[in-house]
Amino acid sequence: MPKLIELVEGQARWAEDAFVFVADEDAIPDTGDVILTLARFEAEGDALLASNSRRVGVRIEPDQEVEVLAYDLPRLAVVALAFPKYRDGRAYSSARLLRERFGYQGQVRAVGDVLREQAGFMVRCGFDAFEPADGATPEAWSKAASRFRHVYQRAVDARPVAFEERAS
Amino acid sequence: MKAITANRLIDGEVVFWKSGQWVDRFGDAQLFDDHHAADVEAAVATGKSQPTVVVDVYPIDLVQSGGRWAPLSYRERIRALGPTNEPTHGKQVEGGDVVEALRHASGAARSTGRVDLIRRK
Amino acid sequence: MYQYDLIDKEFLADRSAEFRGQVARRLSGELTEDQFKPLRLMNGLYLQLHAYMLRVAIPYGSLNPTQARRLAQIARDYDKGYGHFTTRQNIQFNWIKLKDAPEILDKLAEVDLHAIQTSGNCIRNTTSDPYAGATAEEVDDPRVWCEVIRQWSTLHPEFSFLPRKFKIAITASAKDRTAAKVHDIGLLLRQGRDGQLGFEVIVGGGQGRTPYVGPTIKQFLPTDRLLSYLEAILRVYNRHGRRDNIYKARIKILVAALGAEEFARQVEEEWSKIDAARADLPAPELARIRAAFATTPFKTLPARSETFEAAKASDAAFARFVRNNVRPHKLPGYAIVEISLKAQEQTPGDASADQLDVVADLAERYGFNDLRVTHAQNLVLPHIKLDDLPTVFAALQTANLATPNIDLVSDIIACPGLDYCALANARAIPIAQDIARQFADLDRAEQVGELKIKISGCINACGHHHVAHIGILGVDKKGEEFYQLSLGGSGAEDASIGKILGPALPADKVATAVDQLVGAYLAVRTDGERFLDTYRRVGLEPFKEAVYAQAD
Repeated sequence: MPKLIELVEGQARWAEDAFVFVADEDAIPDTGDVILTLARFEAEGDALLASNSRRVGVRIEPDQEVEVLAYDLPRLAVVALAFPKYRDGRAYSSARLLRERFGYQGQVRAVGDVLREQAGFMVRCGFDAFEPADGATPEAWSKAASRFRHVYQRAVDARPVAFEERAS
Repeated sequence: MKAITANRLIDGEVVFWKSGQWVDRFGDAQLFDDHHAADVEAAVATGKSQPTVVVDVYPIDLVQSGGRWAPLSYRERIRALGPTNEPTHGKQVEGGDVVEALRHASGAARSTGRVDLIRRK
Repeated sequence: MYQYDLIDKEFLADRSAEFRGQVARRLSGELTEDQFKPLRLMNGLYLQLHAYMLRVAIPYGSLNPTQARRLAQIARDYDKGYGHFTTRQNIQFNWIKLKDAPEILDKLAEVDLHAIQTSGNCIRNTTSDPYAGATAEEVDDPRVWCEVIRQWSTLHPEFSFLPRKFKIAITASAKDRTAAKVHDIGLLLRQGRDGQLGFEVIVGGGQGRTPYVGPTIKQFLPTDRLLSYLEAILRVYNRHGRRDNIYKARIKILVAALGAEEFARQVEEEWSKIDAARADLPAPELARIRAAFATTPFKTLPARSETFEAAKASDAAFARFVRNNVRPHKLPGYAIVEISLKAQEQTPGDASADQLDVVADLAERYGFNDLRVTHAQNLVLPHIKLDDLPTVFAALQTANLATPNIDLVSDIIACPGLDYCALANARAIPIAQDIARQFADLDRAEQVGELKIKISGCINACGHHHVAHIGILGVDKKGEEFYQLSLGGSGAEDASIGKILGPALPADKVATAVDQLVGAYLAVRTDGERFLDTYRRVGLEPFKEAVYAQAD
């Protein structure tokens, strides 16, 4: 089972991943929580959700726009944002838009080439779950995400910005 | 004829393969003639399997000049010698026959009756 | 000048601690080179031909004496006793060891210096006018806005993995000394009709393989909306810039592909959705930053200095220095002094540790602790009393820093080229030296007048050859170094991309060709015309003939 790190109230911890990612060519299991590709969700998502018996998530690739999920977000438990290569920074914008523009309250999960060296950026952009590709533990993840005592710009997280600290 | 070069991870120094070791001087580099392409491949593979020792391992082409072997390209000559704008910096400071030969090998590269030069990949 | 407070200092300390950890994980093998490379690049550390190169940030080209002395010390302790100033107002050390890098960053942090984001696919150093705060020409001090952007862009969580590097320049004077129009974003400070301050926003300028003078995307952006608008631009770029081909990944490609109008529309649309109250800089913080730049204790002086006038009259060398290297200051009795790092037989843009100490001392004693770097790889003392100028000149002379050639033919921009750079196809430094030698006669150089020659060792154009009056691009022609000349480029407010003159020339023909071009110019120039002006009037043909009609 791929290990999942979840961020709960600012603390990183191991979590059992209830979700299974279903590739387009595979059958959707009869029961259980699933994460589908965007195309699959657009085709079969309504039916799955209508059953009301399972949670559904969608995996978004970097070249797919999160705007297309705008109306479905309230019904989605997870949005998984893919990093095919850690250098592909599009998911940071996607995460931020999900949180700030669409007010998404569900889980925003980082999948793919997810490395602790980018933990800080991910947390600040609103990711709250991570499938690390480098063997990182929650402790290592926490440590990596908290290297900086100060930040210079507002992001999704509630950290006070440097100029707010100065004003106080 | 080929040699194998890389940069040492810890300090970025240009190094050359010699029988499983990495040496600082081009003059000490192991030479591989055209019949030993497999040995070149094996050595490069070994180098690439040492990511905490060297980075960017690749073979370079050599050309004969003044009775000695020299890197074919300017780029590799400069790597083997040091910057041309500052003769007191880099490997060229050591002086000696090999350095002098490499320096003069530059002249051969500019000649109009030139060999078909191959660019490093 | 902006003073780092405890928050800024703790940030640098945290950054160098982070890098120390990353280096350790690389050396132990925990991180692969592929994983480590962007991390070290985001701390300015390149692997070059002979060693690692460290690019230290000099935000908007501004240094104080303590910082300059620390750079000298780093040059001595960790390098070979010198540094190289770049076309983005930064400084590079060519002979760095990876194992020393964490310690170097610590030493830099002690004096509020760093190498944050001087490389990598992130927002780089925001560059500016080296005369900021000293020139009467500016509508506002651009350094204020540079510092605003510096903080906002530092470790920006959304924009640290862009498709490609991102460079911003800010100019506030009619005369552009920043090459703003060939930047990813050029911000031109303007005064609106009602006296309100704003930016003309240019997006999609650039050089490299596909040079562009950037189009204006927004005519007038009120300055208090700067950060939200930048966020909109960066978000559109981060989401839609190409990632399939590094040669097509800059924002200039996106702007050209969409067209300026459509790109502007997409930015406006994104901008309209951004919460300004959260995104734009609060007024008190802006005021705090602005106040930091308004603190120079200038004296009220008479416009005329007898000491200065006497020295000009009696010392021809000083008079020549004044003619070429000294510029008017906004205040009477003061002057802006350019320090040429283009002495004969020296590497363009290099300064020795001893020279750095000399300019540090001069800035401290005579210059309000204010030292600048220009994008032409020279230095500036922006506030020198006319009374002190002869003394400053004498000190510069002793240190070989008084070459009176600013903006003249021998004031050449040259990238490090194949002597140092892993990306280069040909050497640039010896070509610059050949040309400078050709025009060593100072009288001749002055007779020729303003002539901006810029040399790049490869198409990445770090030497800015596209925006040169005479641009020189090194190319590899079957393993030999050849040089392609272009004419009529400009990085100033009259920005233009140069036109190729003809087939590339071998190295030993370049200086002669420049001589021929100058000859052609002198033959037909009319009163007051610079080389660039004559070219724009008569076109390429006379110059082409001067060089190629005589070629074998």
